[in-house]
Amino acid sequence: MSTQTISFTDLIASSIHDMKNSLNVQVRELEQIAAHSRAKGDTSTVQDLGQVIYQANRMNANLIQLLSLYKLGKSIYPVDIAEHSVAEIIDEVLLQCQSIMELKGITITVDCAANCYWYIDRDLIEGVLINALNNAYSYTVDKIRVVARVADGFLELRVEDNGRGYPSNMLLNDAVATNKSINFLNGSTGLGFYFSSQVANMHTNGERQGALTIENGGAFGGGCFVVRLP
Amino acid sequence: MTISLTQARILVIDDFQGMRTMLRDFVRSMGVTQVDTAANGKEAMSQLRASRYDIVICDFNLGPGQNGQQILDEARMYDCIGVSTIWVMVTAEKTSDMVMGAAEVKPDDYLLKPINQSLLESRLEKLIVRKKSLGGIETAIKAKDYVTAIAKCDEQLQAQTPNPQEILRIKSELLLTMGDFEAAKLLFESVLAARSVPWAKTGLGKIAFHTGDYAGATKILQQVLLENRMFMEAGDWLVKALDAQGDGEQAQQVLQEAVKLSPNSPTRQKMLGDTAYKNGALDVAQAAFERNIKISEFSVHKSPSVFAGLAKVFSDKDDPGEALKVLARSKSAFKNDPLAAIQTAAVESVVYKKMGQTDKAEAAMANAEKLMGSLPGKPSPEVALEMAKSLLTLGKKDKACALMRDLVKNNHENADLSRQIESVFAHAKLGAEGLALIKESRQEVVNINNQGVVLAKQGNYQEGAKLLRTALHNLPHSEVVIANLCALLIGLMSKEGKSDALVQEVRELLNRGRELNPANKKYHLYASALARTVGGK
Repeated sequence: MSTQTISFTDLIASSIHDMKNSLNVQVRELEQIAAHSRAKGDTSTVQDLGQVIYQANRMNANLIQLLSLYKLGKSIYPVDIAEHSVAEIIDEVLLQCQSIMELKGITITVDCAANCYWYIDRDLIEGVLINALNNAYSYTVDKIRVVARVADGFLELRVEDNGRGYPSNMLLNDAVATNKSINFLNGSTGLGFYFSSQVANMHTNGERQGALTIENGGAFGGGCFVVRLP
Repeated sequence: MTISLTQARILVIDDFQGMRTMLRDFVRSMGVTQVDTAANGKEAMSQLRASRYDIVICDFNLGPGQNGQQILDEARMYDCIGVSTIWVMVTAEKTSDMVMGAAEVKPDDYLLKPINQSLLESRLEKLIVRKKSLGGIETAIKAKDYVTAIAKCDEQLQAQTPNPQEILRIKSELLLTMGDFEAAKLLFESVLAARSVPWAKTGLGKIAFHTGDYAGATKILQQVLLENRMFMEAGDWLVKALDAQGDGEQAQQVLQEAVKLSPNSPTRQKMLGDTAYKNGALDVAQAAFERNIKISEFSVHKSPSVFAGLAKVFSDKDDPGEALKVLARSKSAFKNDPLAAIQTAAVESVVYKKMGQTDKAEAAMANAEKLMGSLPGKPSPEVALEMAKSLLTLGKKDKACALMRDLVKNNHENADLSRQIESVFAHAKLGAEGLALIKESRQEVVNINNQGVVLAKQGNYQEGAKLLRTALHNLPHSEVVIANLCALLIGLMSKEGKSDALVQEVRELLNRGRELNPANKKYHLYASALARTVGGK
């Protein structure tokens, strides 16, 4: 095959896929080392590894987002919007970041009715929530609250923290709503917001479309990450 | 599954030693004591044959050899897993092949890597609860007792399950299978009133198709794809609707679009190959058949007609050498399969004929005929059509006509098959003769049936049943004979009392009929009548 027939984005996508596999092996090995250390009672190593594993998981989440965006862009992502239990999805997401949160002494509370069901692509929305929780992990003091409620024909998913909140220029620029203002080079949060807003926009019902917004306030007066899905 | 997670017997399938150990340790830590592991399809199949597992956790990508879906297909085909078995597919990335592939047997859930123990445990617990709630419905479906299955769906819907969608979807499929299109339509429309859900809209398309409104079906299904191009099932039905309208070109386009999204679905590649070949798009057909052969190498669904199709493509491309090579490969791939041998020999004769080697062509055909004579039952319509084409090519018109007459009689209400038979004759420039043959053969079946019905009307059920049973023996696929025999046996039971043997006979007839043509409303009526007869005593 001549190199001219491969597009650069295709090359990036296949490389991301490869990187993700390596990273998975790495995380698995790290978790095994952590398990050994825990068995030996070596808590300080377990703590250190916790940080490394968090960073590796974050990288993995980023790679998954990139790959999903690539596929969404090429319209080859198997979007599968079906009815799911929102409480179950939140549970699953928390299971994935519980140990990390515990290590940092963060308490997470959930406010979601057990009978709350909504039309969503399970894997993509889990990705959005994981991204929101990873952000909240970095900026919160010690509390995170996940809220899900249905109002006016929309499902509203909120992730609130008790940190200092988003800087006003981010809120003013409305960096989230207008994807074009995001510059991948100048911030670590660009990808997560871009991914989340793309996923939210992709959820439609008739004429109505999902959206992502950020604000300050909520129960703790900190940063709030809000996704509304029709 | 009526047991709890800790009591479950679990099989872990993964080619990667580290992953296998990790998954095994995960489930052991959950308190599960019976865990086995397998590294590949071969090992997995021997484990699945030896023990009954409650849960199978299977990696999709297993390196060379079978993939996870192919193991699942094989396990289901040979009944190594039951409806109560929970099958979880583990995968590194979500692809449309997996999520919306054309696979008939779907796993109960997908887990995306990386997996941790608590996530796995939570999913398994939920799946056990879900299986339990669907258990009764699935068992009834497996027993093909659709009336009971629908009643069980209604029970759950009345008990206000938290997510009725899944039950509604199962119920709608049952209604379609039973041919109760009015009820199915109401169900789909009530779901669609709240939001445009692709499965419900596709359901309306299926109803239009089943009721012969192909243009209407096309319009609805195109709309579904416009709203959600990933919903492959809509594409599959769109192809059927276009085919029924004779629009092979557009059907090919839809299929080409579909295989772009799901390149590893053998069913779609075969459909594309067949459609493109009919359209004369030999390059497209070749690529599709070759792809199918490549991806189904380790599948229980690999098909000799794909090899036959590819051989014909090469023959038409004036490359008989390559055609014969493909047929040789088919012979070694399907060593003990008589139907495959017939197809191979039939196409071989056509290839030799084209090469001008008449002796070899005759010998191959003689071989095909001999093989067909020694079949225990009737050849499948696919094989019969292939034979007829070859016989016509070799100028053996009488034999071809006899074969096609039998095929029509067995399937005299199958419009799709009639179209295919017509096209076989038209291709051999015998269009008028083909049409006459189809008409005559149909009439013959109608006459036998009328006799049976007359006997029943005279109250002579036993004689009528005898006549129709004999007719059915000769025409095992005839829908009308099946339907009339059902009616007659139900009549017989209401007059002379029910018997288990007769109830069973009717049940089997109904299943056979539904498989042939779910659109036939009579089966729905008879199933209800049978339920009344059974419940009445």
